[in-house]
Amino acid sequence: MSTAKGNGQGRLCLLDLPNSVFAFLLVFILASVLAPHFFSPGNLSTLLLQASILIILSIAMSLVVISGGIDLSMGGVLSMCGVIMALCLRSGMHVLAAILVGVVSGAMFGLLNGLCVTCMKVPPFIATFGSMGIAQSIANTLSGKRTIYWEGGSHSAILDFLGGNVIRVQFGIEASTIFYVPFLVVLTAVVVGIVIFLFKRTVLGAYTYAIGENEEIARLCGIATRTWTVLLYIISGMLASLAALLVLIRTNSMQPTSGEWLEFQAVVAAVLGGNALEGGKGSLYGAIFGALTLYVVRSALSLKGIDTSATMVVIGGVLVVGMMLNELAARHEKKLLGKM
Amino acid sequence: MTKILEFQHISKSFPGVKALDDVSVDLNAGEVHVIVGENGAGKSTLMKLLSGAYTADGGQMLLEGKPILHNNPQLSEQLGIAMIYQELTIVPELSVANNIFLGHEIRWGIFLDRKSMEARTEELLTSIGVNVSPRTLVKNLSIANQQMIEIIKALSKNAKIIVFDEPTSSLTNTEIGELFRIIAALKAKGVGMFYISHRLEEIFEIGDRVTIMRDGRKITTSNIANSTLDQIVEGIAGRRIDKVYTRTYLEKGDVALAINNLCGERFKNINIEVRAGEIVGLAGLVGSGRSEVARAAYGIDPYSQGEVFVKGEKIPKATPQRMSAKGVAFLPENRKREGLALSLPIRENAVVSALQWLNPGGVIRRHKERKLVQSFVDSLGISTPTIEKLTNFLSGGTQQKVVLAKWLVTQAHTFIFDEPTRGIDVGSKTSIYSLMDELVGRGAGILMISSELPEVLGMSDRIYIMAQGRIAGELTKDEADQMKIIQLAFSQSETTGEKGGAA
Repeated sequence: MSTAKGNGQGRLCLLDLPNSVFAFLLVFILASVLAPHFFSPGNLSTLLLQASILIILSIAMSLVVISGGIDLSMGGVLSMCGVIMALCLRSGMHVLAAILVGVVSGAMFGLLNGLCVTCMKVPPFIATFGSMGIAQSIANTLSGKRTIYWEGGSHSAILDFLGGNVIRVQFGIEASTIFYVPFLVVLTAVVVGIVIFLFKRTVLGAYTYAIGENEEIARLCGIATRTWTVLLYIISGMLASLAALLVLIRTNSMQPTSGEWLEFQAVVAAVLGGNALEGGKGSLYGAIFGALTLYVVRSALSLKGIDTSATMVVIGGVLVVGMMLNELAARHEKKLLGKM
Repeated sequence: MTKILEFQHISKSFPGVKALDDVSVDLNAGEVHVIVGENGAGKSTLMKLLSGAYTADGGQMLLEGKPILHNNPQLSEQLGIAMIYQELTIVPELSVANNIFLGHEIRWGIFLDRKSMEARTEELLTSIGVNVSPRTLVKNLSIANQQMIEIIKALSKNAKIIVFDEPTSSLTNTEIGELFRIIAALKAKGVGMFYISHRLEEIFEIGDRVTIMRDGRKITTSNIANSTLDQIVEGIAGRRIDKVYTRTYLEKGDVALAINNLCGERFKNINIEVRAGEIVGLAGLVGSGRSEVARAAYGIDPYSQGEVFVKGEKIPKATPQRMSAKGVAFLPENRKREGLALSLPIRENAVVSALQWLNPGGVIRRHKERKLVQSFVDSLGISTPTIEKLTNFLSGGTQQKVVLAKWLVTQAHTFIFDEPTRGIDVGSKTSIYSLMDELVGRGAGILMISSELPEVLGMSDRIYIMAQGRIAGELTKDEADQMKIIQLAFSQSETTGEKGGAA
């Protein structure tokens, strides 16, 4: 007989962790054992810095994916915003103004995506696929397909500061023994922290799940679903432009092709994090660990001297395996619930 | 009695259909106003106008004498109108508290005030006697508790008008009792309620007035106290239905399907026998393991022990392929998800299981297919202009017939029906019953799982009653009555042990 007791209260918390956490631990241990110098202060620092960009993008991707959409434009938007910011810097604009212009451009593209999806009823996959092309072409056209550099002017102090390290500990002479925390990693942590805070502590999270689960239900609950969907795409666009800023500071230049494949990697990270592409499920933490997992794999492969083009094979494989893990987890959960 | 709501001369058209035609209905405070009618009679459309999901083409709605203008979901909610839908409107990944306050959270500026929401939820939960934590994720609750959450949601918005759309279709009898208790409490508080249901017995238990709708028009509104079941059924169908259940009892044949000592995760030591020429009912509360047994015997879900025999032949490890090859058909409860390919026409649905023997060599013989399907469409009385009509556009009853046609094409001799008439209107129900009778007349055996006691009593030769994963008893049609079945269905496992031995 069915009783009035919920049966999920006494469950192990371990099972509630997204499975990307386990995937991350697994590849991390494997990489530490198998790849030389992987578990060195220098390499881990570099890893964290490289992963930062993807972490920001995959948080953005998760938001959109949980709401039942997808944002394939973020790679293109990243290239475009980066190029725009770089050109602004080259023209001698103040750094903060340049960043503002970049972020606004990203938000505009998000708005465009959002309106396409909500008002024009274009499927998100198609709408954002289209805007990826548009954004990337703008990046190529504006830059003339060349890497953009700028002269360090009076305002370069801010960029230098942002490009610097917060902590630097030297264990030896070699590069691999230097542990450092770049300011960019701190910046990433702050951005991610703000997004997660908003997600958990404002209606943003609940509405995102509700829209992803069933938009009609959300609408009937009195949620302005279109506005919120548009907002999610705008956030995604803005986060893509922040990721562009990270790229720009890290390389001290801007290539118009920086964003290539990043949307693909962000999807992989989100899926690894347990975000189902049909929406309504998943978590932001999961995506962070998904992104870290990807970069551990990449780093280990490059340390092993494996060609970078092979990494895409591995990442593609990781995506498929991640999907299978999600499916397994769902089945396992069903079985557990069935027994109770 | 004060009128709180009035529909005046409402009309609404969709492309090709006049969904509502000059409908006038009113609702008093503290009243349960039942609305009945076949599927497509316009009940849901009327309610969706109230909720703001649709806008009327003509007529007006008056709330406490004032017209509601430019209705939309947000406005209707502000006006104190709440809907409890047939399909649950909850978000499984969110907590109970989050679900209840979805769309109208308690906030500090832009931040959620979780403590207050959880405290208020706790209060509401205890007020209707549901014992779950406000922090539990809703995906971990039972269906009944999920529905209670819907009602609490309405309460939390201080609703003046609540619309129930088939609220009991997924509830067990205890849970229905619970729901009715809550409805009575709401009544005392002066809440006006519209109540839509296909279960006519319920109406007399909780309704004050009943409005009958047919083909988008209101037929009558009358006090329940002055109505009889026959009058209501007649009004719904628009013609006199002599008898809902048709059965001609026959000499029974050999055992067609035998389930011996079947054990699985949610049931134990199940013995069931179905003979050719009989309908065997499988009754019990929702969650007692009825569907699970049938699904395991058909090989859809795994079983750990026991044997399944078809016409005396043992089926080693039953799988749906093997069972259907042996002539056993399974008609799932969820026709839309498991029984039909909705985007395909009747013809393709009907022949899908028979493609192999119908088309030896793998080349499709369209002409042969059409002739065969047309003959079944005629004999089953499937009302459709053409066998190429997409099943998506058929009514629930007609869809059920198409599923049946699919199995008749494969020349099945034993049928397992899981809730054959759920969500089907009265008129179609009757024709499904007479079809089942006809099947049995042709020598088929039927195992029928059903939550509706009148249906079980009216149709079965024999009835097995399940409780807590065991067979609690077996009754013949002469022994069985509503009381005995309910007693067995509620029996505890200790007594079940003794009775199970006898059965």
